[in-house]
Amino acid sequence: MEVARERSAGRVILEARGITKRFGTVVANDHIDLAVRAGELHAVLGENGAGKTTLMRILFGELQPDEGEIYLDGQRVRFRSPRDALRHGIGMVHQERKLIPAHTALENIILGHPKTGAILNLRQAEREVSALCERYGFRVPLHAKVWQLSEGEKQIVEILKELYHGARILILDEPTSVLSPPEIVKLLQSLTRMAKEDLAVIPFITHKLPVVLEHCDRVTILRRGRVVAEMETRHATEQTLAAAMVGREVGLQPERVQVPLGDPIVRVQDLWVRDDRGILAVQGLSFEIRGGEIFGIAGVAGNGQEPLAEALAGLRPVERGTITLDRTDITHAPVLERWRRGLGYIPTERREVGSIPTFSLVDNILLNYHFERQFSRWGILASSQARELTERILREYSVVAAGPNAPARSLSGGNLQKVILGRVLSRKPRFLIACLPTHGLDVGAAEFVQRKILEAKQSGTAVLLISEDLDEILALSDRIAAIYEGQFTGIVTASEASKELVGELMAGLRRERV
Amino acid sequence: MSNLLIISLAAAAVFGIAALGELLEQRAGILNVGLEGVMLLSGTFGFIAAKTSGSYLQGFAIAILTGALVGLLHGFFSITLGSNQVVNGMAIWILGFGLTTYIGYPYTGPLGLKPFPTVAGLPTFFLVTLALAVAIWFLLFKTHLGLKLRSVGENPSVAEASGISVTGLRYLAAILAGILVGLGGAVYSLVYNPVWNYNYLQGWGFIALALVFFSLWNPFLAVAGAVFFGILWQLSLYPELLFPNIFSRYIWRAMPFVITIVVFIVLSTRWFRLRWGATKPEALGLAYQRES
Repeated sequence: MEVARERSAGRVILEARGITKRFGTVVANDHIDLAVRAGELHAVLGENGAGKTTLMRILFGELQPDEGEIYLDGQRVRFRSPRDALRHGIGMVHQERKLIPAHTALENIILGHPKTGAILNLRQAEREVSALCERYGFRVPLHAKVWQLSEGEKQIVEILKELYHGARILILDEPTSVLSPPEIVKLLQSLTRMAKEDLAVIPFITHKLPVVLEHCDRVTILRRGRVVAEMETRHATEQTLAAAMVGREVGLQPERVQVPLGDPIVRVQDLWVRDDRGILAVQGLSFEIRGGEIFGIAGVAGNGQEPLAEALAGLRPVERGTITLDRTDITHAPVLERWRRGLGYIPTERREVGSIPTFSLVDNILLNYHFERQFSRWGILASSQARELTERILREYSVVAAGPNAPARSLSGGNLQKVILGRVLSRKPRFLIACLPTHGLDVGAAEFVQRKILEAKQSGTAVLLISEDLDEILALSDRIAAIYEGQFTGIVTASEASKELVGELMAGLRRERV
Repeated sequence: MSNLLIISLAAAAVFGIAALGELLEQRAGILNVGLEGVMLLSGTFGFIAAKTSGSYLQGFAIAILTGALVGLLHGFFSITLGSNQVVNGMAIWILGFGLTTYIGYPYTGPLGLKPFPTVAGLPTFFLVTLALAVAIWFLLFKTHLGLKLRSVGENPSVAEASGISVTGLRYLAAILAGILVGLGGAVYSLVYNPVWNYNYLQGWGFIALALVFFSLWNPFLAVAGAVFFGILWQLSLYPELLFPNIFSRYIWRAMPFVITIVVFIVLSTRWFRLRWGATKPEALGLAYQRES
């Protein structure tokens, strides 16, 4: 107890007292207290919808609290806008990148800084930014264009930008979500260094509890808009954190089901694919997936998963290699033929590729059915049939929607994903490509989607699961391939796979037989 | 030979100055497809001013002022009202075409001033074009203002979040562009071919617009393209200067269009498209509405 007192004796830099924010009848933040002390890395944990985003936006001046006060170094402050917050030294690193891809890292960092003179003195700026890098242990090529950087490097550029612009309090929204496990460790080490130097660093985190335990000194846990716990991580375990976040004991991952494997359905041989920039993003991948098997591809975003999925679905030309589905070569087959042969594709972008937001649910369902005889006779759509099918999918997948004619954009992410999943799975595909199927969904919806994918597997579908969530990959897949810079760094079976092993493979730190 | 080159450079100055203006505003995300209209308006008003006052200075001043005002108008529609920039541009072209035909008609004929002086035998405005290319390159890539302008053209919301006024910078770009394009129009009607006639510009504004796209938004390439098209144009008019008695006139007349087709084939290659996509200002032609 003595020790604890001493450690928490650091000066309070940022304090929020009784922050309350209501949206209509929903209380997003209910009297939240948060005190961040000097020298401590203090994380805020919570599930989707726990009120993290609202709190962050209030601290950053994007929203005004209905009640409550914010204190900086003991002084009461009010932020009317993000610019106001910036002036008080609050910097925010968003989850979606606020960088200009066509500019260099350095140009992005100095952009808009009042100190930047009329004529750019890039050498001077580089010296200053390099000094920051040195101090906190960041490594990033400052003269590379941002589009050439990895997601992790982009995040570092944003952190550097905030520091360069004089942020003393740094709020990070899900800083770990785009990183490989070793990158996470490095980032958190840098953040710890910053915290030791009198900067207040507040990461807001949903997943990756073990890293939080290891690197953060203190956590505040939110659930349904309230602070349910504030503790030092020394006194916490992964279970206590998870239980506090969810509000019940958790055994979240669904159980893997073993089904006898069928014949190979999909066979990919030495596949090479270019991305939009003309770079070979997929380099010589070979694998096969058998009926009833889930083949998981684990990797940090941007390592070739997306071009691979698009090439398999027929949306991107193949540079070299072959794809066979049920012994038929479909390498250059048009999309429609692939669907007819039993391919099902759940794209990453639900609202751009997976659905047409302004169309009704019926019309969206028809996107995968319009070419079938019973839905289109002589080019005239069979609307009653389509409506029936839609109603069935809405029922079976327990979709919350105003009805079959509701526009797709009126659905929440989870419900829209259920519709897309239902549309694809109702075709009983032989080969299912699922890209980030639970990305951004809350726990309930994610669990549902995972269960449905497992059901498809049980019915003999060959499933390609692409995910950035290592836990999900480990829980569902029969075999796991780690992808790094367009190549597999290893393919392991579920029984040999561990988080550490796959994590290192994903980061390209080691290679296994492929 | 040297005659051909000199007159080609004079034509290149018209393409080049207008293209540089458009390049500047496109870097900031503003697209004005009505370059032809801006040049017609400024060229005509400049011509009338110069003819009635007998002073080149007044002619250029009026032309630049006209260009700036039309740029401001385009800015108002595309920045403040946020309407479709292609439609605005077409409207400006049609307006320019109609208005100049109506107003300029009584002034049909030659300007009647003594020819604009040259510098060491070279067209003055070609040298101005070169200087402008360097200045714009410096502005865009070596100054903070340029970085801000480019940011606004790439991703206005990021720029706004970095404390930059998107609206202010886009207006600045639209007006600067108007000034340059207006100057380009006056160079045509006062210097290159000082005879006013209805629709005297014959689509040169559209060629300047195309040059911006071909140049990959690089001022030096834009000027190189302007010289290339300047030579082509002259060659089609006076082939005998360079190649006496080869081919008939009519084949030469078709040459710019044939070469345009070749250029388009080159531009459609994967090699070029990738580079084009990489340099195109991401937010070109898109209105920016601040989130409230």
